[in-house]
Amino acid sequence: MDERDAVTSALGASWFGAGLSIHARASLADCAALREYPAGTALLREGDETALFAVVARGRVALRMLVPERGPVTILTVEPGDVVGWSAIVPPYRSTSTAITIEPTELLVFEPRQLRSLLEADLALAATLYPRLLEAIGRRLGATRNQLLDLYAQQAEPVPW
Amino acid sequence: MVTERFLPRADLDRLIAALAESGRTVIGPVVRDGAVAYAPIAAAADLPVGWTDVQAPGSYRLQRGGDRMFDIGPPAQGLKRYTFPSRSPLTVAERDADGGVRFTPAIPDPPRLAFLGVRACEIAGLLVQDRVLAEGPFVDEDYRARRDAALVVAVQCTRAGSTCFCASMGTGPEVTGGHDIVLTELDDGYVAASGSVEGDRILARLGLEAATAAQQADSAAGVASARTAQGRAVATEGLRDRLMDQLDSPRWAEIADRCLACSNCTMVCPTCFCTSVGMESDLDGATTKLERTWDSCFTGDFARVAGGNFRPRRQDRYRQWLTHKFATWVDQFGTSGCVGCGRCITWCPVGIDVREELSIIAPPYEAAPLTELPVIAGSPGAYVPATIRSVTPETADTSTLVIEPPDDALLATRPGQFVMVEQPGFPPLPISVSRVRDGALWLTIRAAGPATAAAIALPPGAQLGLRGPLGRGWPIERAVGRDVVIVAGGIGLAPVRPLIDAVLRDRRSFGRLVLAYGARTPADRLYVEELGAWPKLDLEVLEIVDRAGPDWLGRVGIVTQLLDQRDWRDRAASAFVVGPERMMQATVATLAAGGIPAERTFVSLERHMECGIGLCGHCQMGPFFICRDGPVFAVSELGDLFGREGI
Amino acid sequence: MTARTEHQRPRVGVVKLASCDGCQLTLLDLEDQLLPILGRFDLIEFPEASSLRSHGPYDILLVEGSVSTAEQAAEVVDLRSRTRMLVTIGACATSGGIQALRNAADEPAWRASVYPEPQFISSLATATPIAEHVVVDAELRGCPIAPDQLLELLTALRVGRRPQLPVESVCQACKRAGNICVLVSDGIPCLGPVTQAGCGALCPAYGRGCYACFGPREEANVPSFHGWLSRDRAPGEADRLFAGFTGWAPNFREPATRAVVAIEEADDA
Repeated sequence: MDERDAVTSALGASWFGAGLSIHARASLADCAALREYPAGTALLREGDETALFAVVARGRVALRMLVPERGPVTILTVEPGDVVGWSAIVPPYRSTSTAITIEPTELLVFEPRQLRSLLEADLALAATLYPRLLEAIGRRLGATRNQLLDLYAQQAEPVPW
Repeated sequence: MVTERFLPRADLDRLIAALAESGRTVIGPVVRDGAVAYAPIAAAADLPVGWTDVQAPGSYRLQRGGDRMFDIGPPAQGLKRYTFPSRSPLTVAERDADGGVRFTPAIPDPPRLAFLGVRACEIAGLLVQDRVLAEGPFVDEDYRARRDAALVVAVQCTRAGSTCFCASMGTGPEVTGGHDIVLTELDDGYVAASGSVEGDRILARLGLEAATAAQQADSAAGVASARTAQGRAVATEGLRDRLMDQLDSPRWAEIADRCLACSNCTMVCPTCFCTSVGMESDLDGATTKLERTWDSCFTGDFARVAGGNFRPRRQDRYRQWLTHKFATWVDQFGTSGCVGCGRCITWCPVGIDVREELSIIAPPYEAAPLTELPVIAGSPGAYVPATIRSVTPETADTSTLVIEPPDDALLATRPGQFVMVEQPGFPPLPISVSRVRDGALWLTIRAAGPATAAAIALPPGAQLGLRGPLGRGWPIERAVGRDVVIVAGGIGLAPVRPLIDAVLRDRRSFGRLVLAYGARTPADRLYVEELGAWPKLDLEVLEIVDRAGPDWLGRVGIVTQLLDQRDWRDRAASAFVVGPERMMQATVATLAAGGIPAERTFVSLERHMECGIGLCGHCQMGPFFICRDGPVFAVSELGDLFGREGI
Repeated sequence: MTARTEHQRPRVGVVKLASCDGCQLTLLDLEDQLLPILGRFDLIEFPEASSLRSHGPYDILLVEGSVSTAEQAAEVVDLRSRTRMLVTIGACATSGGIQALRNAADEPAWRASVYPEPQFISSLATATPIAEHVVVDAELRGCPIAPDQLLELLTALRVGRRPQLPVESVCQACKRAGNICVLVSDGIPCLGPVTQAGCGALCPAYGRGCYACFGPREEANVPSFHGWLSRDRAPGEADRLFAGFTGWAPNFREPATRAVVAIEEADDA
């Protein structure tokens, strides 16, 4: 199987890619590359210009934020099928967290400038990609809100006093 | 009050003659071909005098014994051949040379019969078939005509065989209706009573004396002995639901290994009614006779259609028969289809006993129904002192106490139950039991306030007061034969651990097992070693934490993320969920979207408890006392109370 | 394939290979129906009944008997090529018949024990059902076949409907007839539960266990039944029950083979 076939196949098999049209997947496959990263690779750095937009094909990516008194805190892990680096195509194009592979990971990688130009030129692609991205971010927001509630902290056999 | 009379033994012929008047043929039990079967009789001498039978799974033997006429069990085949014959003409279809067609339906012309010797179970069978064939929106005219043309002279059983179970099916041995005359045999005659106008008339013509008190007492005692002599019974309480819950039980395949699908059980059953349309035509197909013939759900073509067969395997057919007879019949006709006559057990060529199969496939639920709990230490003050054997820290604020109770009562704690813990000087605490092992209870307690902090600070050798076990635990039997999904959040892993213990002890009875566990941070996880060991015992463990440091290489997020890509639509699964209520709601919704229905999802709820036994009133939620009606509930029981604000 | 017009009666042949000829005799046993049948079917080849001969082509060919010689193996292929609808009739044609039990045995040794000059007997080591040699369009089971099933088949062919040949156990027929089960009430071995109905439950009506003339029924659970029958019998006795007219049928083959081998071993001992 050549690279393009591998890319198309990985895109179609992912949760994110499965929600896109065939045209969208084909267009994206033209500028995507399948890359392998060893564990411990920093893909994005919090605050920096977003270095990539990627769909996780295999492995696990931890998203971390720095709390100076505590050190880096992992606030989410991204599993295969989901996306990393959505800020690459949303202004101001800066990463909101640091993304590090915590296992050997394979990603379908897009270069941010190239992807942005493609989206400006191909409106049909943009019309299917942004809603899917919003969906991915919406799920993440829902999870984050629940984490914020810190439900387990209140948990205990109820004690009156 | 029906007057009971006495018919002397020698006068049975007079009764038979009275029945035979007005042109009735009297049908009674006779000995034929090594068994007792119904056939026309002319006199009492034709009856099986001095015969009895020994029936067992796959075996029927006649034996000499005693002097009585009716000391026999259910005859081979029963009355169905007279009320619902194996072949019955329906219509004659003719086509003439011009292509016209003509149909001549058969007009019911039943013989006038009087059945003598009918047992309570057989009457029950007639009444069941009446509902099916004569009391619905469509009536089988031939059946109705035959029933209308037949007199029923019942004889109550005064003995029972090992395959009889009318008592547990509620159909005998007493005859309570459906008869024209009922007799009970004594050594020197019969206590007789009428059950209809026609019966009155016949008995009146015989001019019988009233039965004496002694005779009536003997009669009652005889029937009572038939009741107590019955052996293996069927637990009928909730049987319909229990059986329909087990459509995916692995037991069906096991029975199919033994079952021959030979259809004997359906052929001898007094209530089975399935038929086919048989056809005979002349060589040109111009005249065709259509008849109704007995068929059986066990035959190969029963469920066949042009595209295939809906029940190709023996296990499909056996399941159809058993669930129809004992469960869906109730939905269709309002009663069970089984009358407890035991013929299917006797005449099965390989001796399959439905009573045994039912008790294995659909055992009675262990969990007590809502309003019935075993009566236990009723007083909120009845604590017993228990000694702490060891204290093991699990996390920074949680420890597990291993406590020895002074007697065995507390060791009977079932998974999901809890105990009230009392330390002098502190208020009582409801604590889930997280394991019962080696004569001790394991309680995992989180120091959330002064009382719990004090409890986990106690040293080994110190004592605590315990009261319990309390509440309804996890209904493990509702998961037998199915996949099991356990979802725990935070300290919720403690009350599910005994469930995990129980399921792993009997691993083969369950399908795929998965535990989804969410904790606050990696350091807050309970039972870390066991979480690592359980996968080796074929329990899949998925973990996720709310947040973590850089050393954690597992998942970070919320517990529903472990489940939202899973699908149980093609598998039968039961789910057990415990954690913060908001987490349980989100989990229940995710599981439902994945195909686990509310009837199969069980949650453990928490409320303020002071007494733990439904007397202090604090823990109420809607109509439920969480301590007594729960803490475990099926989500379907809770309806829209679950997750409602301020309830 | 139907024949509805008066002018075009289907051309029917009846032939036999290795068999006793009882199945083709069933056609003649139809007595009252024979003339109407002959009025609607053109019987062009039936050596037992008629000197009229024909090598076909046949619209319908009823074949009795199993393939037991090399000549028969060739003949059945040749017959197939000249036949539109080939119907096997009887246990020999459908399962090999009782002669197929030699398939499990040391055939030359058997031959030698029966014939004084076995070198003049040229038969195959096996006797096999027709379906192992050519495609078969329909079958009538039985030993012999049931006259009413044969009549039904011919009627169905004429009218154009599927033949009404019920797929059920002998027990079902027995119970419809009101017979008392000989197995349950007397412990008499009866293969009814695993045998295809068709004979009207003839033997049990006379207090005798079923021989399985019609062969194993659909979903025949031989392992379970064999286990049950073995409970009260000496080892090997249950096997012999299956070594009958349809012993070579796939479901019965295993116990039948064991029985044949056991007999051989007893003979050798």
